[in-house]
Amino acid sequence: MNAREQILADVRLALKRTTDAPVLPIPGSARIAPRVPGDANAEIEMLLGEITKLGGATRRISRAEMRAALAQIARDDAVKKATLWETQELKAWDIADALRDLGIEIISPHADKRALAECDLGITGADAAFPETGTLLLRSSPEKPRAVSLLPRVHLAIITPEILRADLAPAFAEVKGEGYWVFVTGPSRTADIELTVTIGVHGPKALRVWVMDGGS
Amino acid sequence: MMRIDFRANVQRVPPNMPPSVRKATTRFLGTRANVVNIFGDERWQQLRQAGHDVRLHTINHLDYYLTRLEENVASAGGIVHWARDAEQARQIVLAIAREHNVKRAVKVKSMATEEIGLNHALIDAGIQTLETDLGEYIVQLAGEGPSHIIVPAVHLTKEGIADLFTQKLGVNAPPDPLELCAIARTKLREEFMSADLGISGANFLVAETGTLVIVTNEGNGRMCTTLPPLHIAVVGIDKVVPDFESVNVLLKLLPRSATGQKISTYTSFITGPRRSTEEGGPQEFHLVLLDNGRTRVLRDPVARETLLCIRCGVCLNVCPVYNHVGGHAYGAVYSGPIGAILAPQLLGVKIAGDLPFASSLCGACADYCPVKIPIPKILLRLRHRVVEGDHVQDAITSAPMRAGARAGSFALSQSFLYALGSQIVKIFQAPFQRAGWLTHLPPPANRWTMTRPLPAFNANFRAWFRKRTPAGRARVQKRKLGIGLLFAGIAALGAWWLARRKK
Repeated sequence: MNAREQILADVRLALKRTTDAPVLPIPGSARIAPRVPGDANAEIEMLLGEITKLGGATRRISRAEMRAALAQIARDDAVKKATLWETQELKAWDIADALRDLGIEIISPHADKRALAECDLGITGADAAFPETGTLLLRSSPEKPRAVSLLPRVHLAIITPEILRADLAPAFAEVKGEGYWVFVTGPSRTADIELTVTIGVHGPKALRVWVMDGGS
Repeated sequence: MMRIDFRANVQRVPPNMPPSVRKATTRFLGTRANVVNIFGDERWQQLRQAGHDVRLHTINHLDYYLTRLEENVASAGGIVHWARDAEQARQIVLAIAREHNVKRAVKVKSMATEEIGLNHALIDAGIQTLETDLGEYIVQLAGEGPSHIIVPAVHLTKEGIADLFTQKLGVNAPPDPLELCAIARTKLREEFMSADLGISGANFLVAETGTLVIVTNEGNGRMCTTLPPLHIAVVGIDKVVPDFESVNVLLKLLPRSATGQKISTYTSFITGPRRSTEEGGPQEFHLVLLDNGRTRVLRDPVARETLLCIRCGVCLNVCPVYNHVGGHAYGAVYSGPIGAILAPQLLGVKIAGDLPFASSLCGACADYCPVKIPIPKILLRLRHRVVEGDHVQDAITSAPMRAGARAGSFALSQSFLYALGSQIVKIFQAPFQRAGWLTHLPPPANRWTMTRPLPAFNANFRAWFRKRTPAGRARVQKRKLGIGLLFAGIAALGAWWLARRKK
């Protein structure tokens, strides 16, 4: 008997279950009611409030303010190289052009990991957001390489209000067929040395979240 | 492995350990109270019940969920391995590493890999293996084990860590947490880039999709599972959960209980290897499912609930014993109340039989446990197992000790025998009595009197209680006569026996 058969046999022996033993349904008490969301504006404010508490920088922004805001972070974060997702939204908002106009070098998100690690800024969208915890859900796909939100020094996520979800459950239902996604809640942190909270350990040192007002 | 001697270990706890451990536990309990309060107590209690029920349901159908998980990992392109014990698990990982000619491995903090001593095995095989969680990185450099499940290096000061970095990394490290963190970031960045293998555990394995869920704060978990071309996850078979509705419940419980965060900074959901080259991520994904004693834990319907654990560490934080000694005294990978019930079951009571006694049974752990593991009940169960053995494990105490304990238990439960015994003790103690104290007793009772005197037994309570009333006093007179006769009888029997022996 190989290890697999042996372990499964040991489990069944311990539980006194046969190979064709019935599987009871998951009890109702093991399920929880979904969170009831507030009104749309309160939800956005809650999301941004939670991210701010964790050391992220947030703002609500309109299409017209975009260029000025990018110029602002280019200065504040001393951005020389940037990389970004190749999604329809980010293309429609002309992010790459705006950055190039600021003299910032654009690195392909499919570049080598060392090249991505040298980027000062990584720009992504998000596919869902959870106000209660200040969490963004980022999927992975050819247009949305995983390292863009991980390796650059600063992570900027530009999102729209439509992606807000009251709770994890509905978002899980949408994405669970996919191969990879990640929840991002604030910039990377540790308290491992004398419990001193330190922001920017291995992941980005700063997280910025912009919510586009008035839709895209 | 040597028997764990908790008392001896406690003697070796350095004086700075308990205060630094308490600093961490106090902090975590404070932040936890805060987030639980925001969540709402009623909602929190429902959530705990749901957490308990979903974990218990899974454990009770473990064979079903494991096979579902295996099927779904495989259909996502992952490769599933099964390991009955630590040795098998190490060999599986080593074989995969050799096959891919791995030179450098980076690791996410994982209790399962600690449990099987994977780092040593890899390093012995010539593979550089680095822990990348900051706290684990520090204790690895120091050549120590973790002292707390969530903050492994909490017993070290920033000055100590600065010295360590200066010595081991050849940099000039100032005793400042920010600077030390920056040094580690730079060092480990290079390691993430050049590693050809990422090793992780998992917080949950989702059966319905074959998804690995990994919770971290620093981002090292994402690095290890995104950058190297090969990802191996070593996960205990108890980590499986049925579906994402279960994950929804458990993800709300875990960070709140562990660090008092509403959610951890990063939670990665990984199903098989990458699906396209462009998105990045490992080309190959292996899952090693580890038994290593878990099926034995499963055999006891009471102690089985140990496997509900989601490794949040809150039971350590509230435990008065843990707070006084820290994690090293437990001498095993798992410390605190969960260690006291898990280690004896995984390692056997012959090795870890001390640990179920390293508890005051105050029950705080059960009050705080997010999945409502009845830890005190399991502690008692294991104490019983240590002393008397059961269908899972033989007793480790000697047969005469057990016979003595049984006889004592019987005598103490019979009022007549108890009264008789208390009078006999009075007679036996007479030669050793000095002014109301027993200072020297013959072996084996001298093990007590070697360290402190024992107050002499008075055994007066029953007599005093009866003599409170005139009727009682009259009854006592009658009894005295009876007891006198009884003793006379015993004396006569004794004399007869002695006389017979002399012949």
